[in-house]
Amino acid sequence: MKRASGMEGKRARWGWVFVAPGLLFFSLFSWYPIVNAFVTSFTNRKLISLKAPKFVGLQNYVRVLSSEDFWNSARATAVFAVGAFVPLLLLSLLFAALIVSLRGWKRPAQMALYSPAVLSSVVAALIWLVVFDPRGLANQALNALFGTPGIDRRWLADATMAQISTIVVYVWKYVGYFTILFVTGMGKIPDAVNEAALIDGAGPFRRFFSITLPLIRPTTVLVSVMILIQCMKTFSTQYLFVQAGAPTGPIEVMTLAIYNTAMRDLAIGRASAMSMLLFAVMLLLSWLQLRASRGGEDAL
Amino acid sequence: MRKPSIPKRPSELALFVLARLVVAGAAALILVPLAFMLSASFMPASDIVSIPYRWIPDGFRWKNYLQALAGNDGSWLYARNVLNSLVVAGAVAATTVAISASVGYGFAKFRFRGRNLAFMAVMATMMIPFETVMVPLYLVVVRLGLQDSYLGLILPFMASAFGVFLMRQYLLGFPDDIVDAARIDGCSEWRIFRSVVLPSIGPASATLAVLAFRQQWDNLLWPLLVVQREEMKTIPAYIVKFAAEKSADEGAMMAVAVIASLPVFILFTTLSKYFLGGSAVFAAGKE
Repeated sequence: MKRASGMEGKRARWGWVFVAPGLLFFSLFSWYPIVNAFVTSFTNRKLISLKAPKFVGLQNYVRVLSSEDFWNSARATAVFAVGAFVPLLLLSLLFAALIVSLRGWKRPAQMALYSPAVLSSVVAALIWLVVFDPRGLANQALNALFGTPGIDRRWLADATMAQISTIVVYVWKYVGYFTILFVTGMGKIPDAVNEAALIDGAGPFRRFFSITLPLIRPTTVLVSVMILIQCMKTFSTQYLFVQAGAPTGPIEVMTLAIYNTAMRDLAIGRASAMSMLLFAVMLLLSWLQLRASRGGEDAL
Repeated sequence: MRKPSIPKRPSELALFVLARLVVAGAAALILVPLAFMLSASFMPASDIVSIPYRWIPDGFRWKNYLQALAGNDGSWLYARNVLNSLVVAGAVAATTVAISASVGYGFAKFRFRGRNLAFMAVMATMMIPFETVMVPLYLVVVRLGLQDSYLGLILPFMASAFGVFLMRQYLLGFPDDIVDAARIDGCSEWRIFRSVVLPSIGPASATLAVLAFRQQWDNLLWPLLVVQREEMKTIPAYIVKFAAEKSADEGAMMAVAVIASLPVFILFTTLSKYFLGGSAVFAAGKE
């Protein structure tokens, strides 16, 4: 008996040996920085300064929340997130439902839709930068479609169009990714359910709205929150477009604003306050997701 | 599985036809910009903005690729930056798999005090967005004097909470008997991990490696913070600089894009299972 517990103790120590390097890593590169960001958000810390940072209470938060720039970037982020969310969710749901109904060609179709997700975000933005050229493909395609030769839609010059352009890049890049998630979710629905409905004479629409949609509710909730969280973290497309000369204001999303506040204005305290606010919104979203998915389980 | 046969009921026939049309149309539309990248990478800039656009280039203009590699200033830094991306993404993939496997194994197969608390502490880090901790991380790297170094680029991404989760889930299904048998045979714990456990987690490792590699291949924000010297930049930072320069030629830009995409597309076509599966597993991990 004693021997056994001694062996147990030895085994337990080995457990710690395997886990320790990881715990050290997460302490240093996740826990310490988040605590640090939290503390820094209450100081007037500057990036290049010899003076020790002073505790300033809620001053950063007050200043951030009452500044025009912050609300401008909050608006830019919201416009982008909502603008990308709606088409991403609807299109990926539609594509997934149609792909599932295909018998052959499922995999090539998925691979084709997914392929832009393989690219780096910057490469995706770079391709569209050239497509959005005044004489580029985007104008040509729309002018051919509407029979309006020679019209320039100012994709990267106009404020609203710049917002639309970043959304187009994002939807193009990620629609296949979320389609795959829906295909996986729909794959879990037993064939028998659909076949029974088919025998009962339910048409494709009826099957989609009365069977597929209710049964993939957990996936839908998950994908919705994933899209929103991902959209709030968008950076590369906006950064590249701004560097290439697009107007900053309408597409200065929160991540870009944090980056500029820290690296251009060197105001680390204020940047930390902004990043804590972003964190709070994302936590709220994750919490909603958790609640919604739990609720889904209860309903089933 | 039923054989694909053409349905007779009108509504089913409509679905049959519509599904094929819409999916084919969507796939074609999504592939157009990729085809554009490839075709424009062989054209002089004047052809790229010609109206109407001619999809087939007149000839293969390799000069674009030379200019992409040489840069607008003839510094030939792109090749070095591609190498940097390969080093960083490769190293991150390797360390992520190694550390996640070790930690996941510890959590899955050992019982020790504080295990659940430690596991929760690791899982909770998944909630922390990188954007929130990037400034403190940057200050850590500055204090360690690791700006403009590979280690500085790699350090914050060497392990991932999702990786730990994935490995633990995978190893929970690994039979205890095999581990115990190895113990009875007198294998040391370390040897059991190296020669029994590691070789059997291939699929999970591949999924995780692909995911980690792609994330770093894509990473722009972190290298922008920690790298100032041109020769230590990775591909995304190079692309932004290249595209923002006034003299940038559109053909060369597309050649830059093709070069940046080749490695991941090769991975994608050879390991598509792990790409597509990885997305699903990643989502499942967040469920």
